[in-house]
Amino acid sequence: MKEFENQDMEAIEERINDLLEGRLDDGEAERLKREAQADHELATAIIDAYQLQRAMSELSIERAPASLRRRLKKIPAQSRPAWQQPRWVMAYATVPVLALAMVMMQPSTPSASELEQARQDLAVAFAYIDRVSVRTTLTIQSEIGSEMSRAVAEPILESINEQEIL
Amino acid sequence: MSREYRKWVAEYQDQAWTLARYILKDASEAEDATQEAFVKLWNHRDNIDPERIKPWLMQVTRNHCLDRLRRRKPETEFVDYQSADERGPLHGLEQSELGNWLKRSIAGLKEPYRSLVVLRDIQQHSYEEVAGVMDLSLSQVKVYLHRARKQLREQLAEVRP
Repeated sequence: MKEFENQDMEAIEERINDLLEGRLDDGEAERLKREAQADHELATAIIDAYQLQRAMSELSIERAPASLRRRLKKIPAQSRPAWQQPRWVMAYATVPVLALAMVMMQPSTPSASELEQARQDLAVAFAYIDRVSVRTTLTIQSEIGSEMSRAVAEPILESINEQEIL
Repeated sequence: MSREYRKWVAEYQDQAWTLARYILKDASEAEDATQEAFVKLWNHRDNIDPERIKPWLMQVTRNHCLDRLRRRKPETEFVDYQSADERGPLHGLEQSELGNWLKRSIAGLKEPYRSLVVLRDIQQHSYEEVAGVMDLSLSQVKVYLHRARKQLREQLAEVRP
């Protein structure tokens, strides 16, 4: 392998690899073949490299184990922000429901406009009541007055009449 | 985007796992490293060029593996690819024996040779892709790969009947 040793080792390695990967042109490949015929060690190096390449190409890519496949599938779900995790979604969903329930249970507080309207309604009602009250009072007074006079006069008249009869 | 992610998982999980397995030589650690790489892929999916998903993922997987190697105690040595038959290819160089011997020999290479051989010779990535994954120039990839293959050839020559 005298010629092989005299050459740059890296260059020889590169030529062997280029030969195996089909990157040498025909002329270069023929020259290397002739060198290998004259150099047993170079020939052995090429044969070993070829054997190795073939053996490595037969080493298949290994199938990932089922446990890893499952882990990789779960990544999108597990990588969501905490508040998007299913158990947190349930927890967060109860918050607005509870808040709504509390609002509904509380006595309602009227707004300012509602208060003003109520005040006006009340004023009208009182005015109406006042008017009714005045009329009622007059009616009662007049009614009670005649009744009272009748109640007082009638027994007297009856008494006088009885005395006159006697 | 979740559909895209599922597609990437289907396409690249075996390659990432194989690379991690060779580098770490431990199935459990290789699973963890592969998962870490895919978590990173999911978290950065919007910022990665879709054309470069594979080299990006391989690079991240390798980096996670190397981080784990660095954290290991110096005396820790895993031999995950140890076969029951320790004789290697001496006995007739049967194909399955050669395969087992070769796996152990590749796993025994030092970095970056180990990753280079796995990426180029087992997974058949192009030189350009390997250079991208390893963050090396094309000529560096070629030179390191020659050295790695030469080491393997020398080991093969030692055990050849």
